[in-house]
This record gives sequence, structure tokens and C-alpha cells, in this order.
Amino acid sequence: MRDFMEKHGLRLLAAAAAVAVLLSVLNYFSTTSSFLENVAGVLTYPFRAAATAVEEWVGDRQRHYRDYSALLEENEALRAEIAVLRANARQAERDREENAKLREILGLREQKRDLVLESAMILEHSSSNWTSTLTLNRGTNHDVAVGNCVLSPEGYLVGVVSEVGLNWCTVLTIIDTDAELGALIYRTGDVAVAEGDFSLMGEKRLKLSYLPAGVSLLAGDYAVTSGLGGFYPSDLVIGTVERVEADEDGLARYAVLAPMVDFDTLTEVFIVKGFDIVE
Amino acid sequence: MTAYRDLLTKWGAYGVSALVLMLLHALTLHTLAPFGVMTFLPPVLVGVVASLEEARPATIFGLALGVACDLTVAAPFPCLYTLAFTASALLASLLAKSVLQPGVLRSVIVTALTFAVTDLGNILVLAMRGAQLGPMLLLALKETVFSCLLLVVCHPLLTALHRKFTL
Repeated sequence: MRDFMEKHGLRLLAAAAAVAVLLSVLNYFSTTSSFLENVAGVLTYPFRAAATAVEEWVGDRQRHYRDYSALLEENEALRAEIAVLRANARQAERDREENAKLREILGLREQKRDLVLESAMILEHSSSNWTSTLTLNRGTNHDVAVGNCVLSPEGYLVGVVSEVGLNWCTVLTIIDTDAELGALIYRTGDVAVAEGDFSLMGEKRLKLSYLPAGVSLLAGDYAVTSGLGGFYPSDLVIGTVERVEADEDGLARYAVLAPMVDFDTLTEVFIVKGFDIVE
Repeated sequence: MTAYRDLLTKWGAYGVSALVLMLLHALTLHTLAPFGVMTFLPPVLVGVVASLEEARPATIFGLALGVACDLTVAAPFPCLYTLAFTASALLASLLAKSVLQPGVLRSVIVTALTFAVTDLGNILVLAMRGAQLGPMLLLALKETVFSCLLLVVCHPLLTALHRKFTL
């Protein structure tokens, strides 16, 4: 063993260290993705697409045989919810007209919310237990950039683009330990930080930290992006408050947020390539 | 010349088998997550090859697979798999040759060792970012146990290739 270590072992470890340094340096100096990662992403694209297609087909077959009575119950509940939402929409329409008139009287800029969206299919769901990522079939070819937000078809926040290749990009979901976003509690207007937490990632949950003193949260309160700093659009729904807990030291509190998105069944998303919002 | 060609054929067969196994894993078992944990194939391949082969080629195999994983699989830092697979392949093959008898048990122990080294890297980085140790150790244990079940397929296949091209 000692002979081997003297002859080859140290040389091999040095080679591994050199490769590791090369990968780290390439990663550090790239604004999208390193050259090697880009090539690997392009080459593995067809295999990832094929694997996901099979995965989705199996999922579809499973959903096809789901309990029929559960679907009937869900249908009934959704009909009741639609009735409430229609009433709210009528009221909102009246409020919108009134708001527009008042803004005109006060000489304020017209409210607008323009998002430049790019639709994308999911090539691959996370293949590691230690991170929560998605790989999409859009890249620099489609003007996707690092930092772009990704939304579900319903408009809920899924994550943020962390790496971009020629025809692929990697999205860090909002439950990943590296995710951190400025958040606003919709009902109270308080500002906090939504961040991924390793203990909660397994439950598909995230943390709402730095809660202001005295804030009173209710289960079901919406947390949305604050839009402060202009990095991300405002008012994108991150999730709803599930419970409030104390930190390990017991001095601060945090809320556990349940995302609105089921990351495992997601197949299609929208990348926000640009936005122009006037509140 | 013939020996060189045999060597290339053997490692080519290992490489193709690894690719096919990874593709099959992605197509089938990847969607299954017993107790919320996905099985992870690359450390199993590194472990089995390290238990069968000499230290030098096994370490080079670990290095190559590590680079491939770093380029395609998300990790807490960019060169995790390169370092972890190389170090664990070297350590595991030396341990396998000097202490353990050939067989399934050797593959299991060496694979567990490979997971231990890889997960140690994950745990160190995430702990520095403030993650709690308990849940991480539990995840590492579950990942190792469930992934070792993949040896049922990997061990016989790679052992058969080893026998065919070596003996």
C-alpha cells in the first residue's frame, strides 16, 4: 500500500486536485456556465429529454388510474371556488376602473405589469438528494440569462436560473439551500426573506426568516416577492404560511412556507426574461 | 500490443456498461424515492470497480466519472465529485486489496465507503452554510442504504466483465 501511494497515489490525487481547481476556476469566471459544462449539457440533452419523457409517461399512467371519487370531490370544491373567484373578479373590475380614474385625477403613471416570458419544458428533475434543481430546454440561444425568474403555468414562483448553456439552463428551485429572495407578506405588508433550508428541503418547504418584531402571521397568509432592488419582479407568489417556529436559540422566529408548486409533477414552466412593472 | 488492446476493450466495456446503467437508472428507478430519498448510481459504480480493479486504474475511473458528474449533476460546490470519487476510489481499492476478501460483501463495504467520502463533502459544505448536522447525517445514511440495493444489478454485471477480460 505504501509503495503504491509513493509511486502513483500521490500523483493521481494531484491530478484530481488539478482537475478540481480547473473546474472551480472555470465555474468562478463564467457568467453563464463553464465551457466544459456547456458542452456536457449539450451532449447529454437528448438522453435527459428521453429519460424525462419516459418518466412523464409513467406518471401519466399512474394519474390515469387515480381514485375517481377523489376527483369528483375535487371537482365539486373547485366549482365552489370558481363561484367565489367570479364574484371577486367582478368586484376587482369595478375597483380597477375606479383606481384608473383616481390615478388620472392625481396625475400618476398608468399601472402596468409587462413580463417577457419564454416557455420551456423540463428536461430533468433533481438527480441529487443534496440540491433541488430543474434543467430546462432553453438557454443562451433563447436569450435566457442567469438570475431570470421561472414561473409555473399558473404564475407561481418556481425558482431562479443559476446556470445557462447553449440550449439548456439549470434552475435552483425556491426550496434549495442556496435560494434567497426578498419577500413580502401580502396581508400585512411586512418585508422578510424567503430562503431554502436543508431541514425543510426534504419536506418540500422553505423558510421565511427575518420576520419583523410583532408581526402576526396566520396560516395561509401569502408570501410574494417584494421586488425590492429590482432584481426580480414583485408580487410573484412564493408560497403560503404553514406554521411559525422559533430558531434554535429561541430568540428569533421564522415561518415555514409551503410553495404553491409541486416540483415533482411540473412539466412546463415560463422563464421571465425581462419585466417592466409600474405599481 | 494485444495486452494494450485487451486493456482498452475492458475499460471500454466498463465505460459503456456505466453509461447504459446510468441511462436505465434515469429511465426507471430515478422516479422512485423510498422515504423521500433518491438512489444515486455513480458512487456504486466507483465502489464496485474499485473493489475489482487495481488501485491505479480504479482511481483513474473514479476521476473520470467524478469529472463527468461535476459537469452534469448539480452539487453544493463545483468539483465535489472529482475530489470525492478519486479519493474514495483510491482509498477503497487499497482497502479492498489489502483487507477484504473478494465478493459481494467487499463491494458493499467499498460502496458504503465511497458514499461516506462523497457525503462528507456535501455535509462539510452545507454545514458551513448553516445546515443542521442531524438531518444531513440521516439523509446520508438513507442514501447509502437505498443506493447499495443497486449493487444487485451492478455487482454481477461488472464482475462478469472483469472475469471475461481479466481471467
